[in-house]
This record gives sequence, structure tokens and C-alpha cells, in this order.
Amino acid sequence: MIRLSLLQLRVQAVTAAAALAAFAALLAATGPRMASLYAASGLSDCQPASCGNLASNFLQQVNAAGPYGLLYPLGVILIAVTPAVIGLFWGAPLIAREVETGTSALAWGQSVTRTRWLAVKLAVGGLAAMAVTEGMSLLQTWWAAPIGRAVGQGGSGASFAMGQFSPLAFVAHGITPLGYAAFAFTLGVTAGALIQRTVPAMAVTLVVFAAVQIAMPLWIRPSLFPASHTTVTIGRGISFSNNAHGNFRLTTGSLAGQPEAWILSSGAVNAAGHPVSAVPACTQAMVSSAGGPAAVNCLASHGVRIAVTYQPASRYWPFQWTETGIYLALVLALAGYCFRRLSRLS
Amino acid sequence: MSAVIQASGLGKQYRRTWALRDCTLAIPEGHVVGLVGPNGAGKTTLLRLATGMLAPTCGTITVLGERPAAGPAQLARVGFVAQDTPVYARMTVADHLRLGSWLNPGWDDELARQRIGQLDLDPKQRAGSLSGGQRAQLALTLALAKRPGLLILDEPVASLDPLARREFLQGLMEAVAEHGLSVVLSSHLVADLERVCDYLIVLVASRVRVAGEVSALLAAHHRLSGPRRDTGSVPASQEVITESHTDKQSNLLIRTDEPLLDPSWTVKPVSLEDLVLAYMSRARNDTPGRRQRLGVVS
Repeated sequence: MIRLSLLQLRVQAVTAAAALAAFAALLAATGPRMASLYAASGLSDCQPASCGNLASNFLQQVNAAGPYGLLYPLGVILIAVTPAVIGLFWGAPLIAREVETGTSALAWGQSVTRTRWLAVKLAVGGLAAMAVTEGMSLLQTWWAAPIGRAVGQGGSGASFAMGQFSPLAFVAHGITPLGYAAFAFTLGVTAGALIQRTVPAMAVTLVVFAAVQIAMPLWIRPSLFPASHTTVTIGRGISFSNNAHGNFRLTTGSLAGQPEAWILSSGAVNAAGHPVSAVPACTQAMVSSAGGPAAVNCLASHGVRIAVTYQPASRYWPFQWTETGIYLALVLALAGYCFRRLSRLS
Repeated sequence: MSAVIQASGLGKQYRRTWALRDCTLAIPEGHVVGLVGPNGAGKTTLLRLATGMLAPTCGTITVLGERPAAGPAQLARVGFVAQDTPVYARMTVADHLRLGSWLNPGWDDELARQRIGQLDLDPKQRAGSLSGGQRAQLALTLALAKRPGLLILDEPVASLDPLARREFLQGLMEAVAEHGLSVVLSSHLVADLERVCDYLIVLVASRVRVAGEVSALLAAHHRLSGPRRDTGSVPASQEVITESHTDKQSNLLIRTDEPLLDPSWTVKPVSLEDLVLAYMSRARNDTPGRRQRLGVVS
């Protein structure tokens, strides 16, 4: 049965291997240059005080050295999209095409029970899906390691560099690609078992997977662990905006000392810790000319600070494991449904 | 006589419509059984239930003494050639044989290769580019080479041209003669069955209308024609299957195991086709809301 699964997966496997090889070739051709830039940047043995500037310099050099600003997001997006492609072209046809073309009568008429047929098909397809996606992820992680380290050392200035918690990077690195790949594949199989026609099953797979991929970072992931709260003084990395009604917003994109933390929300509070939005008098004049350092200093002198709700960088792996665990639980539930459904299919 | 397929009160419902309802039958071992009936009689549903492709809504069915598809051992004992003889279009003939050898512990590779050789099929050819007849032969080869005790074929020749049809049935008969397996073969064309079947079951609207060995059935049925008379005058030992009357003449198709003694009848033998059509039209007349009387069956 394993051999049959491999035989039937032949075309997809060749396609996947070719895609993986092309991806690897692209990264292998561009990775060493970035690594040599990193080695020359002095980041590997920098003093904590200077690391941030060195990292920013390095990122700017990388940006100037070649199409890295394009390759980095492209790689991450490809990894994020791969599970969907697998779910569509491997998962959805697995049962649906057999039923549609009538070959299910051939497959299930051999001396192999339907349960075993599905178990092997799910295992072989699911493992292949996970291997391909995680393979791409490992390649890209290796390739982007210098950028990741530079961002971790507080570097900024290269717009392509994504933090580890950014929605796309989170699903493309670590172990989450395993969860997404297994989930998308099983989702496709389930849609096929439910609808029994390939093309509609593909459409449903795409819609549901996209919805899950959007819902996860927006609503589910932030609340997997209770957020931490802290209040920081106004300093670097603050963005200031105001509107015509004299209200202002102060936000920060990073926490001093925790460059890799995931900032969920931030806002101005007064010395007592209550939110403030009215502009103090001393900033009034400067606000009209779009704020600036003087306005920030003025706010600080009024005791205005920034309250930050965030997830510490140290929770990266707990987040990774939890999210992957959620997907694997979904995979088990969907697979269980497929087994039940298959016993009633014709 | 043990039964290869035994069904009792068997039913299969799709949403609101019943594809098969309250079907009770026993198909004996060691025969080539023809299952005939009009379209919609429930033949395909019955055979898919018998192969475990479908699960019954109600009733029971056992095949070779076990629930269909109860396990690998039961599956190994039943060969199935489904309607339209599906094969994997993108796999080659050789791939299909490999599939068979991987998935069936009793696989007879020599038989499979021999048949493919006899049929002059190119092992490297993709199954999708085979002709209808070649595809059916490939599906039959797969089913035969697993060396089943029972072979079930659902309208295997319905879409084949006459020559391919003959070749397919010939191949089937050779395999039956060689391996002594029981066969159940469905068709809505009696002519296909006449050559190969020694046992006949007429299924109309889920019900078995007549079942028995072909030779016994042919011997027990007669076509009578003679002066017009009321069918009430026919002896109780003679069951009237169909009747038609003109002003002067009566035509009957009867079943009896007794000798025919009334000299006023002209007695003619019936063909298998006559017999099947007679039971089908009688079944139709039995169905409420249909025309109560049908003309001469010929």
C-alpha cells in the first residue's frame, strides 16, 4: 500500500522536488554573499552598546548589495503559501478524484481495507507535505540567518527584515511549517471526502485555509499566552501622531532590551498610569509641525510614558509549539472524520 | 447448496429515494449467475453492496459467509469489475499489475502477465489511452489475478462494441473453466448473458422475480397458443406469466413442471430473452399505477 501511495504521488513528488531544488538553487546562489557581509560587519563580536548601529548598517548594506529586499519576503511568502498549494493539489484530489473517476471501486476492491488505504495515503502524503514545507523553511532560515541575527541585535533600516513574531515569518520559520503543511493537506483530503468532486473541494480547501491563516495571527495567536504589560519612558522608536481634535497617539514598535518581543499594543499614559490623549500645552506649537524630538521631550517632561502590552521574545518557542500542537490536533480531528466518512462512501 | 451472496431485507437509501429496498435473495455457489433487470432495478446498488463499496441502510448481506469488505481476507476472496471498468488513466498497464501484486496477497502474477500477453496489450501503455475493450480486459485481468473465489462484474460489456463484447465474455469463460470460480454478472441485455450464464436472476424494482438454473427455467416455461379462452381454465399446476388475447386466439407464457396434456394448445419453447421479458413485463404490470395489461411478449 505504501508503494502504491508513492506510485500515485509520483507526479506530485517530481513537481515538489523540482520546486524545492529551484528554491535551494536560488538561495544557494545568493546566501554566501550575505554571509560574507555579515562576517565583515563586526556583528559577531560587537559590544552591546554598538550592536544596534552595526546591525542597522549591515541591513542597509545587504539591502544595497543585491535583490535581498525582494528575495527575503519572497522566500517567506513561498513557505507560507506552500501548504495551501499542497492542500489543493495533493490533499483535495486524494479521495475526490478516486470517487469522481470511479477508480475508488478499483482501489477499494483490492485486498486492503479502506481504513488501511486511507491511513497509508494520509501518512505518506502528510509526511511528504511536512518534509517539503519544512525543507523550504530550513533552507530559508539558513539563508536568512544573518538578517535574523541583525534584527535580533536591534538592527533596523531594512524594511524587508521581519521580526520573528511577524505574521508571515512566524509561519515560515521554526516548526510551524510542519503544522501548517499537515493541516492544509488533511484539510484538502477532508474537503474531498465531503464534496467528492475535485475542483469544488480545491476551492473549499483554499478558502478555509486562507481564512485560518488570517484568523490565526489576528485573533488566536495573540491570546495563546496571557500578555505581559510594562510601562516605558519615551525614547527611541516612538511614533507620534495627532489629529485635528488635539488628540494624539504615541506608539512604539519595539521594547528597549527586547528587540524580538511581540508588541501587541501600546499607548500613552500619564504618571498615574491612566491613558492620556489630550496634548499638553507645551507640545501644542510643535504638534502642528508634526511633532519631532522637541514634542517628545515635552511629553516626557509631563511624565507621559508609554504602556506596552507585549509577548516576551522568550516565548517564541512556546508559541511555536502551541500553534503547531493546535494544528496537529486539528489534523487528528479531520483525519478521524475522514475515516468515518470513508466507511460510508461509495 | 451454499450461497455466495445472501441478502435479507436489504435496502439502500440515498437521501429520499430508495435505490434498493427490501431485497431478499440467495445466489448459489459454483455458477455463472446472470443478474438481469431493467435500468433502475437496483442491480448496481446490489452489487456495490455485495462488494462493500456501499454500506446498507437496512437489512443484511453476506458474501462468502462474511460481511462484505469485513477485512483483507474477505476482500481477497472477491474480485470486482465495476461499471464502466474504471482504471487509473495516468498509470501504465504494468503499473496496474504492480498495484495488483502489491495489494493482493494471493496475486497470480503469471496469470496476469499471460493474459496481458494474450490480449496484446503494451505494458508501457497508459491505461487512459486504451480502447474500451482493452480497458475492460485490464480490469478483468486485475480481478482475476487476485484469484478470487467469487467474481462480481457490474455491466462489464455494456459500453463495448460487439466484437470486444464477445472477446471479453470469452476470456471470462476461459477463466471460469480454468479456475472454477463463481461469477455474478449483471446486464440489462439478455443476449449478453445467454452465452455465458447457467443461472439466471431477474430483478425488477428490488425484487427477485424469478431465479434458477437456465436449463431448468427453459424446460419449465412454455409458450402456448390456441383458441380464445379464459385463463381461469388453466390448471393450477400451470402458472401464467404473461397472457394476451385476440378475438379468436389466446397466447400464454406459462411455467409448469407437469407435462402439458391439453391438445388444443400449440406449444412452443421459449427463449431466454422471452422468459426474461415476460417476467419483466409481469413485474411492471404488478406495479401500481402502471398499465394493467401488456400485449404479446415476443
